Amino acid sequence: MKTLLHPDAGLVDAATGERLTGRELATRVADLAALLDEEPRGLVFATATAELDSVLRILAAWEANRPVALLDPQITPAALRDLVDRFRPAVLLNPPTLVDGFQPASAGLGTAWRRTGPAGRAPHPDLALLLTTSGSTGNPKLVRLSRAGVHGNAAAIAAALGLDGDEVAPTTLPLHYTYGLSVLTSHLHAGATVLLERGGLTSRDFWAAVDRYGVTSLAAVPYQYEMLRRLRFAPARHPRLRTLTQAGGRLHPDLVADFHGRMAEVGGRLFVMYGQTEATARMTVLPADRLPAKLGSVGLPVPGGTVSIRTDDGAETTAPDRIGEIVYRGVNVMMGYAESDADLARPDELGGVLATGDLGRLDEEGFLFVTGRIKRIAKVFGVRVNLDDVERSLGHHGPIAAVAGADRLVVVVEGTDPDRLAGIRAEVAAALGTHSSGVQVRGVDALPLTPTGKPDYRLLEAEC
Amino acid sequence: MELQRLRTVFRTALELPEEAEVDGLEYRGIEKWDSLAHMSLVATIEDEFGVMLDTDEVIDLSSFDRARQILEKHGVVLAD
Repeated sequence: MKTLLHPDAGLVDAATGERLTGRELATRVADLAALLDEEPRGLVFATATAELDSVLRILAAWEANRPVALLDPQITPAALRDLVDRFRPAVLLNPPTLVDGFQPASAGLGTAWRRTGPAGRAPHPDLALLLTTSGSTGNPKLVRLSRAGVHGNAAAIAAALGLDGDEVAPTTLPLHYTYGLSVLTSHLHAGATVLLERGGLTSRDFWAAVDRYGVTSLAAVPYQYEMLRRLRFAPARHPRLRTLTQAGGRLHPDLVADFHGRMAEVGGRLFVMYGQTEATARMTVLPADRLPAKLGSVGLPVPGGTVSIRTDDGAETTAPDRIGEIVYRGVNVMMGYAESDADLARPDELGGVLATGDLGRLDEEGFLFVTGRIKRIAKVFGVRVNLDDVERSLGHHGPIAAVAGADRLVVVVEGTDPDRLAGIRAEVAAALGTHSSGVQVRGVDALPLTPTGKPDYRLLEAEC
Repeated sequence: MELQRLRTVFRTALELPEEAEVDGLEYRGIEKWDSLAHMSLVATIEDEFGVMLDTDEVIDLSSFDRARQILEKHGVVLAD
C-alpha cells in the first residue's frame, strides 16, 4: 500500500476548529510532499506536536517516501544537537531551537531548515520511521521501523479494535511516543477522524472538545487511568465515548476491573493492549468481551502476529503456563536499532522476530500474561528507566535495589529513617526529572539476597 | 482554619521549597505544576481537608485562589 491515508480519513484541530477530510486532506499532504521532494535527499527530523501543520508534515514525509525521526517537542538544545550530529538529517521540521549548518527551507513547509553541507548516508529504502527508545537521559538509540511495519501495524490495530469511519479519537498522548502515534496511524488507516488536542485529560478544553467533536475513544497509559479515576470519569456523561484503550505498561488489575466495569455499564469497552516501540506499537490486544474471564492478560496477538515463549533452555513453546521470554513475530517488528547515520542504511536485521525482554506465559487459549522483565527496566509515567543506572547513581546510600512497580520506580534501601528515605526519594525524582509520586522508596532492615549474593529482584518485585 | 495549611499543601504536592510564594500560582504557570503534579495536589488537598472533589472541581482547580474558593464551597473556610 502506498499511502497510510484512507480516503475518508480526517483531522480536526481542537484549538482552531479547522477540519481536513478526504480529498482535501490528501491534497494538502500531497502538496507538502511535493515541496519536501525539492529539499535535499535524506532523513527528516520532525518534532511531533498535536497541531494540524505538524501532523500534515509528518504525513507528507511518509507520502514523499522520506524516513522521518519523530522528536519530543520539549527536546533540549543539547539533545537535539547530539541527534543532529549522530544522524545527520537533511531536513529539520519545526525544531525548537536553531542548529548550526542549516538554512531556511521552502517557506511552504513552515518552520523548516535544510542542511547546507552534505547529509548523512542514504537511508535504507524500506525505512519509514525512527522513534527514540528512552526518555530524557543518555544518548538515545533510534528504533528503525519500516513502511510495511508502520502500515501493517496500523491496519492490525484497526482490525483488532474494530475501528471504522465513525470513530473519533483525540490525541491524549505525545505523538513522538509509539502508542500516541499508533492512535493517529490506526485511525487514519481506518478512515476515522483524529482530534488534535493539546490540553490533556486535566484541562477543561479537553472535555469540552470530547463532547463538541463526538469523541468515541480515549487512549491512556497507567498514570492517566489514575487521573481518570481521580477525575471520577463517568462515561454516561459522554454518550459517544464508548471505548477506552490501555497500553504503556502494566495497569493494576483492580483498575482494569474498575474501568471495565465503568464502560460495561454503558455498553462500552476497555481494551488492554501490550506493545513496544521495537514492534512499531502494538503486539497484542485483549478482546473487550473476554476481559472479565482473562483479567490480568494482555490478550491475543494482533492480526498477522504470533507470540511464543522462550524458556530457560532456549526452546520456544506455545504450551500453556510455561514462563519465559516473550517472543513476537510479525511484519511490525523493527529493522533494528540505529546509533548513527551509518546504521540508517542497514537492511532489516531481525527478520520479523523480536525477543521482547519481557517475561510471560500463555494460557490454554493462547492469551498472553506478562509476568515481569528480563531487562532491568522500569517505566515511570510511561518513560523507560534503566534500573541498573538508578542503582549505580545511588550507590553512596549503601545497599540498594531498584525494581519496577506498576508505572512506578521502587527503590529499596537498608534503614528506615523517614527523613533519609524522603531525601533519597527527592534525589531520585530530581535525577529522573519526574514528579516524586513516580518514585517509591521503601526501607528494610536487610535487602533479601539470592544465593549468589545479588538482590533478590523477583522477590522484591513480587512485593511491589 | 489557617490559610497556611493550604500553602503547605501546595508546596508539598508541587515539590516547592518551604519558603516558596504560592498564593499567586496558576496551573501550568510554573514547570512544577504540570498534569502529574496536579493529580498529586488534588489528592493532597482531599486528604488534608477531608473533602472529595468532583470532576469539574478537579479541572477547575487552576490556581491557588480557585483552590481556596473550591474548599470554601465544601465548607472549609481558610483565612490568614
